[in-house]
Amino acid sequence: MVTSPVVNTYPLSSYTFGTKEPKMEKDTSVADRLARMKVNYMKEGMRTSVEAILLVQEHNHPHILLLQIGNTFCKLPGGRLKPGENEIEGLKRKLTSKLGCQFTCSCARLAEIITLDEYVIVKKLIEHTFISTKNVMAIGECVAIWWRPNFETIMYPYCPPHITKPKECKKLFLVHLSEREYFAVPKNLKLLAVPLFELYDNVQRYGPVISTIPQQLSRFQFNMITT
Amino acid sequence: MSVVANGDSHETENTSDQSYVLDIYPLSSYYFGSKEPIPFKDQTLDDRIQRMKSNYAAHGLRTCVEAVILVELFKHPHLLLLQVRNSIFKLPGGRLRPGESDIDGLKRKLKRKLSLNEDGNEIDWEVGECLGMWWKPDFETLLFPYLPPNVKRPKECTKLFLVKLPVSQKFIVPNNMKLLAVPLCQIHDNQKTYGPVISGVPQLLSKFSFNIIDS
Repeated sequence: MVTSPVVNTYPLSSYTFGTKEPKMEKDTSVADRLARMKVNYMKEGMRTSVEAILLVQEHNHPHILLLQIGNTFCKLPGGRLKPGENEIEGLKRKLTSKLGCQFTCSCARLAEIITLDEYVIVKKLIEHTFISTKNVMAIGECVAIWWRPNFETIMYPYCPPHITKPKECKKLFLVHLSEREYFAVPKNLKLLAVPLFELYDNVQRYGPVISTIPQQLSRFQFNMITT
Repeated sequence: MSVVANGDSHETENTSDQSYVLDIYPLSSYYFGSKEPIPFKDQTLDDRIQRMKSNYAAHGLRTCVEAVILVELFKHPHLLLLQVRNSIFKLPGGRLRPGESDIDGLKRKLKRKLSLNEDGNEIDWEVGECLGMWWKPDFETLLFPYLPPNVKRPKECTKLFLVKLPVSQKFIVPNNMKLLAVPLCQIHDNQKTYGPVISGVPQLLSKFSFNIIDS
């Protein structure tokens, strides 16, 4: 029997969510975004972006963590790589910047907490540091790659025939979470845990990249851990 | 993941050098012939559902295995599909026998559908990784790429496997089916023509980069 790779998923309740300063979108409209992409393309060539699929479980069904901007628009945590940057390092940098994720386990983090208001957070961080010396969040395998042939919103899961100069390449990575994590969500965003069954076939709401993640995850066997 | 005891993490992480590279060869380097037809087991959808129900009662969850086989044409990857009865497209494959392993079953099906039954030169099909799985909670035709919540007894599970071709091979197809090479760009997002499983194959393959080998 061929065994599928296993992904451990923990309940949403085993994670702690705090807030941090707002992280505003650089562009106010789709048109602005595409215009800025054009400018960057002239300077640096094809954009490579990396995004993370963070999974939790609720009611024994896998859920993906999505950042919601405003009332409707959802995106995966991640962003653009700097020219020449390694994909994994870049994704870690983005996750740290967008969600305050920690990829190493050390007491040096306590030095970041400086106000009394954050006492509760400090306490949880201390617990976190000592509990999770076994496992730490880690970037897993690439599960999908999407290509943008032109300065338009449409993307494809292959580089279309006759396109020699794609404008963007977006890579989605599975990220393995440990049993306890602390996420700091920018104040202007919401972090949602959305079940796979809600994403499947729901292009209207989530777009082609996110709504097809359930298919790309279907080869994994989810080990739904209840704490 | 392996972790060093002093608390720093040194997991065997995915590095950006981990590449999924797939060698594909031109369509022209393969030979296609035909053989006697394979009779269709069911005449109507109702027949099929009836047969599935009695099989489920006898053997439980049915596992189907299907092959994703690629060739190159016009510098773009093409998927091999079997066309039956003019409008039904299928990936080569079929249902496992009770107790049969995925790989053995897939090789058996590929031999039956794509090569001569008694062949002096047995083709050794190279079965790669499982690309995706689809679940059928009921006997009706709806499929999902996950086991829907609250479904304790799914009726069928379909697994898609990547099958790697050698530089050249002979395909012998039953003459009541056609073997087509369809470009990924035609399959993508085309659920209407190809159904959710086949139209989803380009996304399952997106992490691979295709190394087109021109012989």
